[in-house]
Amino acid sequence: MSMPTRPRTGSGALLAGLIILAVAAITIGVLLAAGITPQRAWDSFFPVGGATPVTDRGRATRELYNIVFLIGATIFVIVEGLIVFTVFRYRRRADDDTLPPQTHGNNLVEVIWTAIPTAIVLFLFVMSWQTLNTVDAKAANPNVYVRAVAARFQWKFDYLDGPDGVGLSPKVLFSQVLPVGEDGGLVLPVGEPVHISLTSPDVIHAFYVPKFLFKRDVVPGKLNTFDFTVEEPGTFRGQCAELCGPYHGSMVFEVHAKPKAEFEAWLAAAIAKANATPAPQPSGDAAGPVVEAAAQNVAFTTPALAAPADKPFTIHFKNNDPAGVFHNIAIKDASGAEVFKGDLVDGGKDANYSVPALKAGTYPFNCTVHPNMTGTLTVQ
Amino acid sequence: MATTTLNPAAPAVRSGLYEWLTTTDHKKIGIMYLINSILFFVMGGILALIVRAELAQPGMQFVSESFYNQAFTMHASFMLFLFVIPILAGFGNYVVPLQIGAPDMAFPRINALSFWLLPLGGALMASGFFVSGGAAASGWTEYPPLSGAQFNGTGTDLWIMGLTLIGTSSILGSINFLVTIFKMRAPGMTLFRMPILVWTVLVTSVLVLMATPVLTSALVMLFIDRNYGGHFFDPANGGSAVLYQNVFWFYSHPAVYIMILPAMGIVSEILPVFSRKPLFGYKAFVFATVGIGALGFSVWAHHMFTTGSVFLPFFSLMTFLIAVPTGVKMFNWIATLWRGKLSFDTPLLYATGFLTMFLIGGINGAFSAAVPVDFAIHDTYWVVAHIHYVLFGGSVFAIFGGIYYWFPKMTGRMLGEGLGKIQFVIMFIGFNLTFFPMHQLGLAGMPRRIADYASSTGWSELNLAATIGGFVIAFSLLPFFWNVLVSLRNGKIAGDDPWGANTLEWATSSPPPPYNFDHLPEIRSERPVFDARHGRTSAH
Amino acid sequence: MTADATSLTTQAETQTEAHAVEAHGSGGIGNPVLGMLLFIASEVMFFAGLFAAYFTIRANFIDIDGVRRWPPLAYDALLQPFRLFTDSGQLNLIVPATIILILSSVTCQLGVNAIKRGDRTGFLRNFAVTLVLGGTFLLMQAYDYSVLINEGLTMGATTFGTTYFTMTGFHGAHVFGGVLMLGVVAYRGMAGQFSAKHHDMVEATSLYWHFVDIVWIVLFSVIYLLPLLSRKGAL
Repeated sequence: MSMPTRPRTGSGALLAGLIILAVAAITIGVLLAAGITPQRAWDSFFPVGGATPVTDRGRATRELYNIVFLIGATIFVIVEGLIVFTVFRYRRRADDDTLPPQTHGNNLVEVIWTAIPTAIVLFLFVMSWQTLNTVDAKAANPNVYVRAVAARFQWKFDYLDGPDGVGLSPKVLFSQVLPVGEDGGLVLPVGEPVHISLTSPDVIHAFYVPKFLFKRDVVPGKLNTFDFTVEEPGTFRGQCAELCGPYHGSMVFEVHAKPKAEFEAWLAAAIAKANATPAPQPSGDAAGPVVEAAAQNVAFTTPALAAPADKPFTIHFKNNDPAGVFHNIAIKDASGAEVFKGDLVDGGKDANYSVPALKAGTYPFNCTVHPNMTGTLTVQ
Repeated sequence: MATTTLNPAAPAVRSGLYEWLTTTDHKKIGIMYLINSILFFVMGGILALIVRAELAQPGMQFVSESFYNQAFTMHASFMLFLFVIPILAGFGNYVVPLQIGAPDMAFPRINALSFWLLPLGGALMASGFFVSGGAAASGWTEYPPLSGAQFNGTGTDLWIMGLTLIGTSSILGSINFLVTIFKMRAPGMTLFRMPILVWTVLVTSVLVLMATPVLTSALVMLFIDRNYGGHFFDPANGGSAVLYQNVFWFYSHPAVYIMILPAMGIVSEILPVFSRKPLFGYKAFVFATVGIGALGFSVWAHHMFTTGSVFLPFFSLMTFLIAVPTGVKMFNWIATLWRGKLSFDTPLLYATGFLTMFLIGGINGAFSAAVPVDFAIHDTYWVVAHIHYVLFGGSVFAIFGGIYYWFPKMTGRMLGEGLGKIQFVIMFIGFNLTFFPMHQLGLAGMPRRIADYASSTGWSELNLAATIGGFVIAFSLLPFFWNVLVSLRNGKIAGDDPWGANTLEWATSSPPPPYNFDHLPEIRSERPVFDARHGRTSAH
Repeated sequence: MTADATSLTTQAETQTEAHAVEAHGSGGIGNPVLGMLLFIASEVMFFAGLFAAYFTIRANFIDIDGVRRWPPLAYDALLQPFRLFTDSGQLNLIVPATIILILSSVTCQLGVNAIKRGDRTGFLRNFAVTLVLGGTFLLMQAYDYSVLINEGLTMGATTFGTTYFTMTGFHGAHVFGGVLMLGVVAYRGMAGQFSAKHHDMVEATSLYWHFVDIVWIVLFSVIYLLPLLSRKGAL
């Protein structure tokens, strides 16, 4: 029985293999040229570039990740290696028309390669369940209670005097409206257990801080809560991680972890400021030439502004978004240094910003609540 | 070079338009499935390129945030519902009746209806782009409240209606496959002598039958909420947003097995032929397929670990367990190649490409099964890497393998090997360049479904690399389409059995006559044509 | 290729049995009947999704006065199945409708039994009665809907209204589909297309009709009877 004629084989696989090797070599070359050292490349296989997570529970998660990674990488090397070996070793010679041994199966081998993976996954399950118990544990005595309110498209942090829950109505001591920046963000103490509750008035969002190795959904109508302790001071970026609309990518926030004493001083000052008579809206008579600016739908409807050089001027800023959606205008010079920052204006309100004299040039401006909101101020 | 004595091989491709529009022949319907699916593959691919172009650098350069959301929503919707699932149904349609020695499917007219619902449903979905407010834009998962009437307009309703038609097409198709497979096998073909592709289509059809209607119920409830004042998913009025997720994922998790099992079937057809040995562990493979199908119904909430509404340990355990039958298959495939005599024609290239890439997809999925790790990587680019390694590196590679393998049977001509190999290499490189860096991006904290990111995040370089990879993938389709066009006219004549294959479709002419078979060889194993060629008639 | 061709043809010729491929399977359950059973399985899953939503919503419902109860107080009276008249004196036809639907399953089965023994007249009569009963059920449902809407229970009237109308509405749609099938089968029956040997579509239609009836029994029990039990403190 003659076999149907077939094209030559063997060299095709070799050629493909060589091409892939060449491409891999080029890739490594490009990476090295771009300054990505082997250490950085290795670190990129771990959460947040291998950096130590900043919470107690994040560290437990990282340890679990290491176990899964080790097992996964080992399996990858063995099985992928087996495939590559097989593919090269058993290429048919062009003139070989005989049949190889027609092995249908091998019960022993099949039992082994069913039993061992089962054992491995059960081990991984037990490990991950134990870590889960650590990560999801409730803190016995949280020191700080914060309600994170996620709305389209900004984060607000309400500092409470007690836990949130069905039938509970804790008092809001202070509302942190600015989600980023040195006078904004989720400010927390280092080394103290923190309790966060999550609410949203509109759609599903998610509270995600990469350096915590943690996220939790914010579900309207359901109060999700979680506890953690930040172990080191610093600023950590956070971002919404559940699609909530067109500006989902702009819903960023910062966590500012301060040493305990500093945190308490900050909180006391913030509460005092909140209780004091609210400062009058920055309005009143405009001084100098008036430039009209406005924002709507989380964007500047006036992205191109113009003002005269070398004299103070006023920006009359109208926030046409609904109440609860704060905006402002912060102006930077060409080098990125901030030359002006206006107070926050609530939705439906307007304000007059008194901007000091600026030299001629182009100045980018943005909203500090929504960094995606940008525009350019031309001064001449 | 027809071997059948009565009819010269009917040239299927040259039939008139009317014939194609009114046909109930499973072979023509199968080809139409393939063509429609590839059309939506291209449309979905263009949408992906728009997404990748926008993400290459920080800042919005090309589209608005609102259109961006439509782009990734419709990219996924086209790819999953109008490309992967239907093209596998198309392969099933063409190949299964031939492989079991039947003259057609059990219900040929319903088969035609199943097909025509697809371009109709697809057109409905796509028409969203032309209505005020644009197409559906809340992700292919369309979670309420975001997908509610308050936030999204008619495009979402068109998406719901289109998807309901597509689901109906699937369900009718599954009924057809099940009755055909159970009732119309040729004498001698017991269940355990069926080709593996037929087994995977059988299990897939059970999944489609039982899971897709649950999606229909979720879509119906969403439509009622959006248009008739319903409150199913309205938290302010006694409804639950998480309820939608549970009902939706009850379908959409089995759906991913619907997308991979027939692809695994295709790989399981190709590997034995091109290594000249039988599939290693046929029975274990069948049980593994059934096991994956069954277990697949028990893991849905692993898509919802971060909602705070899930009994985590159960779903984590079941998710880990499903790795076992999947691993068994991987070893069976490698054992099939082991000590074989491998001919590296393009179908085998794609099949081994499947093995290497699907392995990565399976391993990176295991990370998400570990719940605390999922808390870190859920809804980040890690998941985008996972889904594309299993769907593209897995299903799409298998699909291209199937195209190169069965094109000769369908058209009577071979696809060019040179162009095929070129396409494979470019596609393989482009695919890895696009999706491997997404592991890093997810670990670094880049969430999914964001239109833009700040340059201070440090994500720009990897995004640029992924975008370049995306265009490389697109470029690799050019030799493919050229190959198809040229081969249809001038390809080498294939004959009945150009590959020296095992199963019944190779026992008739290429293309087969309308009634499929003049003679059937004796069926004593899962490789009747192989047995006939080598004079083996002893029972398997 | 020719070598293979000859070998295969020779092989086939040396086998004396014809490998005839039968169009309707090799005995056992008929293709249309198997197809209908599978279709019914898929419809069961569709209703399963709706029931899952119903039970979830019911378990989490908090009435306007802050108490957990179901159905909401405002619609409790409307849900009393065994009261023939509502508080405002309008007819409540839910129990008569249920009885009629169950009866229609009986007549449907009688029709199937008739055609199985070749009794075309008996089959047609019973199917005609089934069709009329089915249509009556739909009319009674429509009437009940108008009463409920008048009394304030609408699609948007709490999740109770949403689930009630969605579930009974889709059931009604399935009954309507069944009525159409019964009509087509009756028409074909009158044209003499069915006999004792060939009546797959009659059997398939009756299976669908029984399914529609069983769904109603479950729906009726869950929506109407279960609250009675829980109100009496049994649950």
